[in-house]
Amino acid sequence: MADLAIASPSEAAAESAAQLRRGRMLSVGARCALPVAILLGIGFLAPLVAIFGYAFATPRSFDVFASFTLANFATLFDTSNTVWLSFFWSCGLALLTVAILAVVAYPIAYGLNLVFGRWSALISVLFVFPLFVSENVRLYGWVLFFIKSGVLDGTLKWLGLPGGPEVLYTPGITLFGMVYTYLPFMLFPMTLGLALVPRDLVDAARDLGAGRLFIWREIELPLAMPGILIGMLLTFVLAIGATAEAKILGGQSIIVISHDIEIAFTYSQNWPLGSALAVVVTFFIGALTLFALSKLDLDRMLGRR
Amino acid sequence: MAHISRRSVLQGMGAGVAALAAAGPLFNANKAFAAREKELNILCWEGYNSAQVLDPFRSQTGATVKAESLTNDPTMINRLRAGEINTWDLINVNNPWARKVMLPEKLIKPLPKAEFEPFFETMLPMFKPPYKWAMSEDGAELIGMAQRFGPYSYVVNTDKISRKTAEDTGWDLFNDPALAGKYGILESDDWNVFNIFIIAGIDPFKVHTPDEMATFEETAKKVFKGAKLIGDIASMNQALISGEIDLHMTGGTYSVSPARADGHPNLRGITPLKGPLPGGKGGIAWIEITSTVNNPNLSPLALDFLKYVQAPDVAHKVAFAEGTFNPVSQMGNKACFDLFTKDELDAIQWDSLQEEMDRSAEYDIVPDYDKALDLMNAAKRLRG
Repeated sequence: MADLAIASPSEAAAESAAQLRRGRMLSVGARCALPVAILLGIGFLAPLVAIFGYAFATPRSFDVFASFTLANFATLFDTSNTVWLSFFWSCGLALLTVAILAVVAYPIAYGLNLVFGRWSALISVLFVFPLFVSENVRLYGWVLFFIKSGVLDGTLKWLGLPGGPEVLYTPGITLFGMVYTYLPFMLFPMTLGLALVPRDLVDAARDLGAGRLFIWREIELPLAMPGILIGMLLTFVLAIGATAEAKILGGQSIIVISHDIEIAFTYSQNWPLGSALAVVVTFFIGALTLFALSKLDLDRMLGRR
Repeated sequence: MAHISRRSVLQGMGAGVAALAAAGPLFNANKAFAAREKELNILCWEGYNSAQVLDPFRSQTGATVKAESLTNDPTMINRLRAGEINTWDLINVNNPWARKVMLPEKLIKPLPKAEFEPFFETMLPMFKPPYKWAMSEDGAELIGMAQRFGPYSYVVNTDKISRKTAEDTGWDLFNDPALAGKYGILESDDWNVFNIFIIAGIDPFKVHTPDEMATFEETAKKVFKGAKLIGDIASMNQALISGEIDLHMTGGTYSVSPARADGHPNLRGITPLKGPLPGGKGGIAWIEITSTVNNPNLSPLALDFLKYVQAPDVAHKVAFAEGTFNPVSQMGNKACFDLFTKDELDAIQWDSLQEEMDRSAEYDIVPDYDKALDLMNAAKRLRG
């Protein structure tokens, strides 16, 4: 007992110290999130901060965080600067890619949900499979397909036909490359979106005499919209930053905005200007994404409130 | 691109452990030195980073050798300026940068002259010591070693445009409306700046007047508008072979040699007979200079590597490293020259090499490059 009586105050003190320590320490959740937070801090935030810092540095210098100027932005927004052309091409091609993919991917997504049955899994894998091969390799493959005396031209000539069309090194083939590359990024969110449409609702509408177009417009499309919009957003964000298609297939017949950024960081060695351009593009895409997400209330769309 | 094989990593690790054991008691005193004696980092053009060149050196020394290749000089130099001077041991760039930029900015340090100058004695005659580009401006210091070089103007498919026509017509080929849509432009923008100046009839390596800049801008718009494609070396060679284009601007042995070695001797680097460069020259040639970086903790292997690549068999490997095949200065040494087969000599256009070098000015720095490049980039955007 005597031992216990002696031990008790120290135990109590130890316990209160432990409580205090626990109070000062991060919660379990925060501690578990720490590795991710550190990783994001180093891998995601640090480069963004560096880019942001460079955007305000003296042009063609490496005085990051040591100088402050708006000269880089002034150069970008100068009326004589033709960089808007690159921006126009990137936005235009991204919008067209989204529009074409929405039309192309919808029937496939519909098929994967309702038509292909047990073949759906295999067909899904076929659409995913090209993602395992480097994008550049796939695009060079298309060059070999379309090039003069290549697979298409050679085969047509072998069959005694006049030969393939001259499509390489044009903005059109750049668009084709983008549609091809980003198809899976539209298809799978759209497939998930369509999977959310309860078949009972469609059956009920049909029983009540609704036509196919009416069912599609009033039931399928609104209920699948979360998936469709997420697919569109994802595709747009990826497509506006696309470079390889315009370079490899398009033969730089147009210069896209990400290529302009690359030129600033390489041959021009004007990191501040490249950073300013990257910041403008990032803010543009960020604002557009936030605007779209503010309109896209997933909870409401999914009927949770 | 860093080439690290599993074997080299294991060798490096083994060597590292051995070095640690041996230097154990002295470890603290020699910490900095011990940390770099089995490590070598090379910043270079493609070729020096190939396994054919590096693996034997790794085996000989048990060192971890990393080589990163980039495809333009300013990027490499700016890596040093941005603080990577502590990382790299050797830098391999085109001729003027060592002498005119890197040494004055203390980005590189001189080589032991007595040890390295004798190597120039056995090189091809144009490299006889004191070789201008390997020396400091005052001629006192040896600042780098010369190895690969070559003429670099444009490439034609001689089945479509004969060598004679291409040499006689010169850069006016790109002013010919009949050839619009039949030529490509290699994505090598520093060289394209030189070439647009030359097509405009202006010497690129001088300060330009506003009128000359205006002419440059107009020429850039016209030349880029008329190009069928802009792309990398592989795209240019592929387009030439398939018949998509008949010629391409910025090119020579460095770019076309892989296609020639692959059975397309009809593709040929051309150096025009005349042009607006000093002495009426129309071509430009490059010479790579490899220098030791002014790294406060320079790897002792840096000098060993510079000697290693002088050996005839290694120089031959450097000449035929993967990706691009080029003449090397060590071909002046018979032991090295004899290693080249007839096909290899054909691939690097040995038959016309000397006359092409004689017709070429040597790569130099354009004083108003930034301004010209901005104009050229703007012209590129107007293609669409």
